[in-house]
Amino acid sequence: MTTTAGPHQHASADDPRVMLDDEIGVFESIPPYPPRTEREAEFYTLGDGEMFLNMGPQHPSTHGVLRVVLKLDGEKVVDLDPVLGYLHRGVEKLCENADYHQVISQVDPLEYISSLFCEWSPVMAFEKLLDVEVPRRAEYIRVLSGELNRVASHALFMGWFALDLGGLTPILWSFIERDEIVEMLAALTGQRMLFNYFRIGGVNGDLNHDFMSRLGDWMSRATGQIEANLTLLNENEIFVRRARGLGVIDTETALSMCMSGPNLRATGSPFDVRRAHPYSIYPELDFDIPTRSEGDSLARYLLRIEEIKQSLRIIDQCLHQMPDGPIMAKLPRLLRPRPGRAYAAIEGPRGQYATYAISDGTDQPFRMRIHDPSFIHLQSVGLLMKDNLIADTMAIMASLDPIMGGVDK
Amino acid sequence: MDRALKTRLEARFGDVASGPIRQRHDETELRIPAGAAPDVLRALHDEPDFKFLMLSDLAGVDTGDHMQVVYHLWSETTSDWLRVVADKIPRDDPRTPSITFLWKGAEWMEREAYDMFGIVFEGNRDLRRIYMPPDYTSFPLRKDFFLPDDAARSPGGGVRHMERSHAPQGTPAGSIRRVKA
Repeated sequence: MTTTAGPHQHASADDPRVMLDDEIGVFESIPPYPPRTEREAEFYTLGDGEMFLNMGPQHPSTHGVLRVVLKLDGEKVVDLDPVLGYLHRGVEKLCENADYHQVISQVDPLEYISSLFCEWSPVMAFEKLLDVEVPRRAEYIRVLSGELNRVASHALFMGWFALDLGGLTPILWSFIERDEIVEMLAALTGQRMLFNYFRIGGVNGDLNHDFMSRLGDWMSRATGQIEANLTLLNENEIFVRRARGLGVIDTETALSMCMSGPNLRATGSPFDVRRAHPYSIYPELDFDIPTRSEGDSLARYLLRIEEIKQSLRIIDQCLHQMPDGPIMAKLPRLLRPRPGRAYAAIEGPRGQYATYAISDGTDQPFRMRIHDPSFIHLQSVGLLMKDNLIADTMAIMASLDPIMGGVDK
Repeated sequence: MDRALKTRLEARFGDVASGPIRQRHDETELRIPAGAAPDVLRALHDEPDFKFLMLSDLAGVDTGDHMQVVYHLWSETTSDWLRVVADKIPRDDPRTPSITFLWKGAEWMEREAYDMFGIVFEGNRDLRRIYMPPDYTSFPLRKDFFLPDDAARSPGGGVRHMERSHAPQGTPAGSIRRVKA
């Protein structure tokens, strides 16, 4: 007796077709709905010989979970449409429902490569709301650990950028560098990535022996080690020829695209929040703001290298000028700032991190806006990518150095 | 605090401003009606004695009574952040002009404010949701959007708590947070 399924039989509840309204088809890059905006209509109208190509969300070169719809003419990118939101957590809403101390751990994973900067700007905004004076030693420790984090972030950028251009070795080398710094910060803060170290009114722990000995050890050979890393890339003809003249942007366009940080400075504008709108102890420190005029991917890369060197100068000065004293201001456990508004911006490794906080007199922020440079910079990818090849998409995106955790918030 | 900036702003924008110019720490606050935002921001951007070339931030705010769009600007002519508050946008139909003609980079920030608050920026070429899926209907950062924890306690709570178009039925009038901002 045969047991073939006949039409009279009920479909099994395990059959996935029962659970789906529509047939499973190949991925459709054109939205099934009518275009909602002028720009969407323009993008999803194909010209002669053009096609769509979907990149992501899971793609090794998108630095996180980013989907990009490319409009191609042969191998040339005509236009692109980034689709965000795959990592969206609603941090701003979570912060509005957390008390002021809890916010610090919520904002940590935004840009997980440079967490200390994500903590820094909300903490500064809350200090403004509360009119707190941060002890000088705490400020020095903040700058010291922040600059270490900046070096770690830029070191990783070097590796990623080379990786997206097809070189595997630099990322292994830069991870050595990053790992040393991250271990060092782990000795200071207790965490390798999500430090949760800054507090409203100071920092969580004082400098300890483990941290200082690791730092001294690293400082004695950091310059040489970074120079050695550079020989891998700076004299590599393939790398330099590939990156030069790629994704050029000028100062005026960069300003109108709201860019900041190294990406803006690579176009020649010396805007750096540390000098343009000084905060913390940066006015007392001696360092330069490197700029370059080319505005291309190579300039963005070389500029970050220069910044590493300046950061090392700052770390050195911090170690020599570190004052004694308390590391926390005297504050009550439960913070209830007077109703008011505060805005604080800092210069992170990717650009300007900013926080706009509104207090309504309760122990939770009424509104907390987080401004993230990655989000802003990702926006100009489409502009930079015009008439480049698909293979350069990744190179240009990597040269802007976006972190999807921060883009999606 | 840059007192000179306050004087300059009062002289130039005294007639459009909808409130006194306030200063605290390193911030100067200019409050204008939402409709005046393009003219005021263009003047701040173009005029040589202001030269606010950099838009540092654009944020939507729901005060519980009305919506605001808050612009933070930076200029080399002053040591303060300038905060321009486009005020009193009605909550039931929030509309305000877009400033993408000045800063193209404001496009995504306006999309974000639209996605989170439902503020419609007239003149933005690409005003669609940016974080939430295209078929989503709520505006999560509005004060009448409750987080699941709160929603469970709220009178309308429980059903599809992650998506809520407006305040749930039967919500007592005083149950959303309000601020005088």
